[in-house]
Amino acid sequence: MKTKILALVLAVVMVLSLAACGGGKDAGGDAEKLTVALVVADKFGDRSFYDSSKAGLDKLAADFGVEPKTIECNGENHATQMRNAADVADVVVCVGWEFYDIETIAPEYPDVKWIWIDNATSAPVENVLNITYAQNEGSFLAGYIAAAMSQSGVIGAVGGEDADTINDFIVGYEQGAQYWAEAHDATIDVMHNYANTYTDPAVGKECAISLNDSGADVIFQIASATGDGVFEAAAEKGFYAIGVDSDQKYINEDVIICSMKKEVGDSIYDAISKLIGGDASLWGTTWVADMSTGYVGIGYGEDGSVQQVPDELKEEVADIAEAIISGTIVVNTTRS
Amino acid sequence: MLEDILSGIFSAGTFNQMLRSATPVALAALGGAMTEHAGIMNIGMDGMILMGAFFGVLGSWYFGSAAAGVALVLVMGVIVGLFFALFTVKFRSDEFIIGTALNTFALGLTSFLSRSIFGTAGTKGNPALPTVHLPFLDAIPFLGRVLNDNSLFIYVTWALVLVMWLFVYRTPYGLWLRASGEKPETLRTAGIAPERMKWLASILCGLLCGLAGAHLSLGQLQGTFAEDMANSRGYIAFACVIFSKADPAMAYVAALMFGFFDAIGLRLQDYISSDLTNTIPYVITIVMMVYVVVRSQRKKRHAGKRLPQRQT
Repeated sequence: MKTKILALVLAVVMVLSLAACGGGKDAGGDAEKLTVALVVADKFGDRSFYDSSKAGLDKLAADFGVEPKTIECNGENHATQMRNAADVADVVVCVGWEFYDIETIAPEYPDVKWIWIDNATSAPVENVLNITYAQNEGSFLAGYIAAAMSQSGVIGAVGGEDADTINDFIVGYEQGAQYWAEAHDATIDVMHNYANTYTDPAVGKECAISLNDSGADVIFQIASATGDGVFEAAAEKGFYAIGVDSDQKYINEDVIICSMKKEVGDSIYDAISKLIGGDASLWGTTWVADMSTGYVGIGYGEDGSVQQVPDELKEEVADIAEAIISGTIVVNTTRS
Repeated sequence: MLEDILSGIFSAGTFNQMLRSATPVALAALGGAMTEHAGIMNIGMDGMILMGAFFGVLGSWYFGSAAAGVALVLVMGVIVGLFFALFTVKFRSDEFIIGTALNTFALGLTSFLSRSIFGTAGTKGNPALPTVHLPFLDAIPFLGRVLNDNSLFIYVTWALVLVMWLFVYRTPYGLWLRASGEKPETLRTAGIAPERMKWLASILCGLLCGLAGAHLSLGQLQGTFAEDMANSRGYIAFACVIFSKADPAMAYVAALMFGFFDAIGLRLQDYISSDLTNTIPYVITIVMMVYVVVRSQRKKRHAGKRLPQRQT
């Protein structure tokens, strides 16, 4: 009997302390500090897409003192995690094309400002800002570089899965390679395969080796942490690789000749700092972060890192980037 | 067209990949065969592989040598095996729940440790296991290219398959192990506690699954760990165990089959949607399970037929 009472008392104390915790958090969020929740579709640690968004959030916390919160969905329960985030935050940033439920959930939380990264609602939602990236434009440049650097005339790409956003990279990459081939009166073969996982570097390695067996000597990875295996295969088999989303040169500067950068973190930072400055005009629209605004482009690593891409080629690439910005070159896309 | 496909499929690269992809599954299946013989349904192999992959890289990173990584994996393998046996044998908890719990726990633990120690969810470029070059294989044209210059553990696995087969079918311990699962009371009558054999099986499973993980992160990859990198290989291994009736040699063959279809699937993506090629391992699993059911049904029917004949 005594133990039962003790257990009951302890249970009550625990419940009360939990309630106290919850209350404390809410009070913190409501006070002038802006709470920004970052919800990522998979998990951090990919050293590219998601980590870039996290860097943007960290910068917001350092510069404006916003209260950062992060939620990793690990590939499931996206809708529930969005609601969890909206319950505690003023701004919810959903990172990943998977958050389709935003169209129905965002109207339920009219006081919360939402940002959807990498995809767009079918119709504008008043409190949702869609940010999509012209990854096809950046990939065009990557394809051009890959074709120019290839000795075999065959280049490859390893995609995470057969999805629109991933294919947007691939069509740009193929077009860029063919653009180089036409300009230089050569033929280029562009191959690709899909790993069907974003967390298994061993599979990424097999995908890259299989492309290399077919002759590809420059391979573009578009597969998050799976892509680590592509870099390993490159080092082992002696071919070049191209990084994605972040400037990944530092991972292995001897084989990664450049990276197709998608400045997810910068775009989140800029959108939210505008909001802090009192300008919420972006919400209710889709903002295509493209090459003209500098959110998409090619990175060659930090100063002093080993360079494989010759300076003349870099200049050509810069000229093509100008042509894409001015509209002289129109890049194919799978974005609707 | 068809020639292109066939030459793509039956290239040395395909069989190289088959060996590489099969080895982690095969090592785990060897471990699973031990617990299966001891009558423990072990679906916790995925978690055990993940632990092996993480602690292999951790040891390799901390001590600066892949051998130290493998040593740490062996220590952790024993601990994980003891932990698994504690619940399934000593406390007689539900094996299914303990297995699931082990998988979830391993994912949480390795993610937590990886982030606290390496700062991100993964690490790479740590000392890895060597590849082995066997000069006498150079003389053989096609097979030589497939079998040569592989990671150390691919050859270790061949030895382990033989050792485990001899252990199970040619030693008294193996006999007791099988008896502990099939006829525990008979074993007890013979003066041997079946629980002890179950403990042993569990520890062996922890060790072998740990090695499977170590091969994944230190052999197949060069000292790389990524969260959730076991990627359901433990479940594929479990399918191999059931298919092979826990015979180590057959389990290895089953793992090779999975590796082969993995490699083919990747090469068929040029012709078939990757969403479909991705389902190949699971289709194979279903085919295997159908075979297992048919096999056991046929046995039952044969037994049933024989019985009335004896009566007459």
